[in-house]
Amino acid sequence: MVTRRLARAADSIQLVLVLAVLVLPVAWTFLSAFKPRTEVAALPPRLLFTPTLENFAELFGRNDFLLNTWNSLVVAGGSTLLGLALGAPAAFAMAWHRLSWPATATLFARMAPGALFLLPWLVMFSALGLVGSHLVLILTHAVITLPVVIWVLLPYFDAMPRELVESAQIDGARGDQVFWKVALPVVMPGVIVAAILSFVFSWNYFLFALVLSGIETKTAIVASFNFIGEGVTNWGALMAAAVVIAAPPLILTLLIQRRLVGGLAAGAVKG
Amino acid sequence: MPLPARRRRGTVASYRLFAAPALLFAAAMIVFPFGYAVWLSLSEVALGAAPRFVGVANFTRLFGDEEFWNGFTLTLELYLVALVLQLVIGTWLGLLLARSRRARGLVRTVMVSPFMLPPVVVGMMAIVILDPSFGVANWLLAEAGLPPRLWLADTETVILTIAALDTWQWTPFVALIVMGGYLSLPRDVFEAAEIDGAGGWWRFRHVTLPLLGPTLVTAAVLRSVDLLRFFDIIYLTTQGGPGRASTTLNILAYRRGFEFFELGYASAIMVTLSAMVLGSVLAFARLRRAVAW
Repeated sequence: MVTRRLARAADSIQLVLVLAVLVLPVAWTFLSAFKPRTEVAALPPRLLFTPTLENFAELFGRNDFLLNTWNSLVVAGGSTLLGLALGAPAAFAMAWHRLSWPATATLFARMAPGALFLLPWLVMFSALGLVGSHLVLILTHAVITLPVVIWVLLPYFDAMPRELVESAQIDGARGDQVFWKVALPVVMPGVIVAAILSFVFSWNYFLFALVLSGIETKTAIVASFNFIGEGVTNWGALMAAAVVIAAPPLILTLLIQRRLVGGLAAGAVKG
Repeated sequence: MPLPARRRRGTVASYRLFAAPALLFAAAMIVFPFGYAVWLSLSEVALGAAPRFVGVANFTRLFGDEEFWNGFTLTLELYLVALVLQLVIGTWLGLLLARSRRARGLVRTVMVSPFMLPPVVVGMMAIVILDPSFGVANWLLAEAGLPPRLWLADTETVILTIAALDTWQWTPFVALIVMGGYLSLPRDVFEAAEIDGAGGWWRFRHVTLPLLGPTLVTAAVLRSVDLLRFFDIIYLTTQGGPGRASTTLNILAYRRGFEFFELGYASAIMVTLSAMVLGSVLAFARLRRAVAW
C-alpha cells in the first residue's frame, strides 16, 4: 500500500499548489488595500506592516465612490427584482405548458455580444431621454438577469409535482393564487439561487454602464475603470476599490456554493 | 362546433399569459434591438442624418479591411489558446478534486471565488501585479534569476497574457463541472477496467475521457460563448493595445461604434461576431451528439 500512500501524497501536493495559485493574487490585492501608501509598491514586498484604512479613506473621501457604490447597489438590486418579476411567472408557464422556444430565445441574449445591443439601445434611449438614468441601467441589466432567472428556475418548476397545482385548481384557486400561494413557495430555494446569481452578474457587468450611465449614475465598476484611465498610479486606492467591488459577489456566493455551478451551467445542458 | 358545456376546471386552465410580460420585455429589449442592429449593419449612418440603406456594402468593406482580419486572428488566437488550456487543466484538476474528494468547505470556497470576481477586478489585479517596473511578478522572476517580461505591454505576447488571465479565472469552473460529471458516472465501468488490469493512462484515455465527453462539450460551449465575446479585461487593461496587438473583434467593434461613431460598420462587425458565436455553439451541439453514449 506504499504506492497508494505515495499517490495520495502526490495528489495533496498538486492540490495545495493549485489552491496557492488561485488564492495568492487575491490575497495580494486584499493585503495591498490595507498597506500604508508608501509600502504598496515597495519591492521586495513587505508582508509585515501596520494595517491602515487610509486607502479606503482616500477612495471614499476624494472621489464619489460612495455614490458609485450606491448606484451599483440600486442597479443590481433593481435588475434582480425586475428579472425575478418577469422571469419567475414566465418560467412557471414554460414548465407547466412545456414550452421550449422562449427558453431558446433567451439563450440568444446570453450568446450575443453585449455591444450588439448597445448601439440600438443608445439610439432608443436617447430618443426617450433616458440615457444616464438608473432606469435605463436597470432595464439593460435585466437583459442579463432575466435569462439567469428563467434557466435557474425551470428545473425547479419542472420538479414540482403537478398534483399540487391541480388540486389547487379544483379548490377553485385563480391563476395568480396558484402562482403566489402554491407554486412559488415550493420553488423558493431556486428563487434564492436565481436572485443571488442575478445580483452578482448584474453587479459585475461592465459594458452597459460604461456607455449608458451618467456622471450621477456611474457604477462602482465604471468608476474604477475611469480611475485607471486617469493614469492614477495610486495603487493603494485602486486596490481598495478592487476590494469594495469584489466583496459583495464573494460574500453572496459563499451562501450558494453548492448550487453555483449547476446554476451557471443551466441552459448549456439542453441547448 | 365544439362547445365545452361545462369547462372542467383544472385541466383547461392556461398559464401561458404568465409568460407574456417576459416576452414583451424580450421583444422590446432583445428582438427589436437585434433587428435594428442588423438593419444598421446594412446601412450607411452619418451623424445627424437618417441611416441610408446600402445593402452588404459594410460587409464587403469589412472583408477587405486588414483591421478586421487582425481582429479576427486575435479573437481566434485568444479563443483557442484559452479554451484548450482551460479544458486540459480543468480536466486534470477536476479529476484530482474527484479523487481527493476534497472539494468541500475551504477548497470549494477557493475554487468558486475566481469566477465570481468581476472581470474588472481581475484586470485591476493584473495591472498592479504585472506592471513591468513595479509589479511583484517581475520581482519574483528576478529573484528566480529569470529575465523580466513586459506582460500586457508586449506586442508579441499580450494576447497570451490575457488568455492566461481568463484561464486563471475560469479553469476552476471547468474543473468543478468535470468533477460533477465524473462523480455521476457509473462506478462499475471503472471497476471492470481495474479488474482487467488496465493501467492508469490507458484507463484515462479509453474509459474516463470518452465517458466525460458530453461533460467536456458542455464546458466548452459555456467557455466558447464567453471567450469569443471577451471584452472587460482587455478594455480595462490594454484597450486593444499596445498598438492594436489585443484589438479583438469585440474591442474593434466597440471602438468603431462608440469612439468613431461608425454605427453601420461597427454593427457589421458585431453581426459577424454573433454569427461566429452561433456557429461555435451549433458546432458543439453536433459534437455533443457525436460523443453521446
